[in-house]
Amino acid sequence: MLFLQKFFRTVFLVDLVKGLLVTLKYTPQPAFTFQYPQERRPVAPRFRGVLRLQVEPETGAQTCIVCDQCAKACPDELINLGGHREPGHKIKVLDYFDFNLSRCSFCGLCAEVCPTKPVKALIMSEDYELGTYSRSAQILRVDDMYDGVPIQQYTR
Amino acid sequence: MGLIEHRFEDNFITTNVDRVLNWARQSSLWPMGFGLACCAIEMIATSTSRYDIARFGAEVFRASPRQSDLMIVAGTVTKKMAPVLRRLYDQMPEPKWVMSMGSCSNAGGPFPTYSVLQGVDKIVPVDVYVSGCPPRPEALLYGLMRLQDKIRKENTILRKERVIMAGQSEPIIVDGRA
Repeated sequence: MLFLQKFFRTVFLVDLVKGLLVTLKYTPQPAFTFQYPQERRPVAPRFRGVLRLQVEPETGAQTCIVCDQCAKACPDELINLGGHREPGHKIKVLDYFDFNLSRCSFCGLCAEVCPTKPVKALIMSEDYELGTYSRSAQILRVDDMYDGVPIQQYTR
Repeated sequence: MGLIEHRFEDNFITTNVDRVLNWARQSSLWPMGFGLACCAIEMIATSTSRYDIARFGAEVFRASPRQSDLMIVAGTVTKKMAPVLRRLYDQMPEPKWVMSMGSCSNAGGPFPTYSVLQGVDKIVPVDVYVSGCPPRPEALLYGLMRLQDKIRKENTILRKERVIMAGQSEPIIVDGRA
């Protein structure tokens, strides 16, 4: 009896059909892949991307008060900033803000201690596209900190 | 060569050979996965079906340096690992490229210690530095696209020899605008 059962299973290819049914079940499902350069997946709310300076949203005025707290908070001493006082200005004017991206481990301590209210001057943005050809390009100057690192589009 | 002489612009033939060869090179970059630390997990994730590095022709992660074009150094390079890395790089056939992935291999990361190499560019010439700790899979794909851009501009016949920068490669933050 057992022999007959095995014989008919072999003749009618029962196992093959079973396997093909599994294949057919998964075939009509849509593709799983994110087409990255075309579609950019939204990041998690707590995602920490590259550091960025913010301006006042309405006036475009400087929000950083050059308090040097971020530079002190950085465990690897990657931030270097300075400013000067100017008559007529309430806060110090930011002269330079050099950020060494190459060593940064994106811990977010610098953005956490930033005291300006209601707009935080220093935030961890959502940008993660950071590919450079040289080490010196990984030092972000103050303009890169405001506008973000320029992202090159994919062309082929 | 009378047939093609004075029929095309100058350098017509070499530029087109360059273009074809560069197209072939950029679209079949076989990486050698050099996973050393947590960045290796993101590199593995890049090759999964979610992100699918195969769309860029770089899906064949080889375990042997003899079969690979691109070395993705993913993770902390310790000084004990550095001679091994250099030997594997020397075993790779030309043309070869190196991507440095993550802060640790870019510059040593948060380990300015005696046992960690302060940047993999001290021992191998790096083409693209991908920042992040670790970089997202998308960031690695972005770095791969930047590398493809670089390959597209290369000369195949008169290829420049890549050298390691002598001396201190760590960029020094200067108060330039003070």
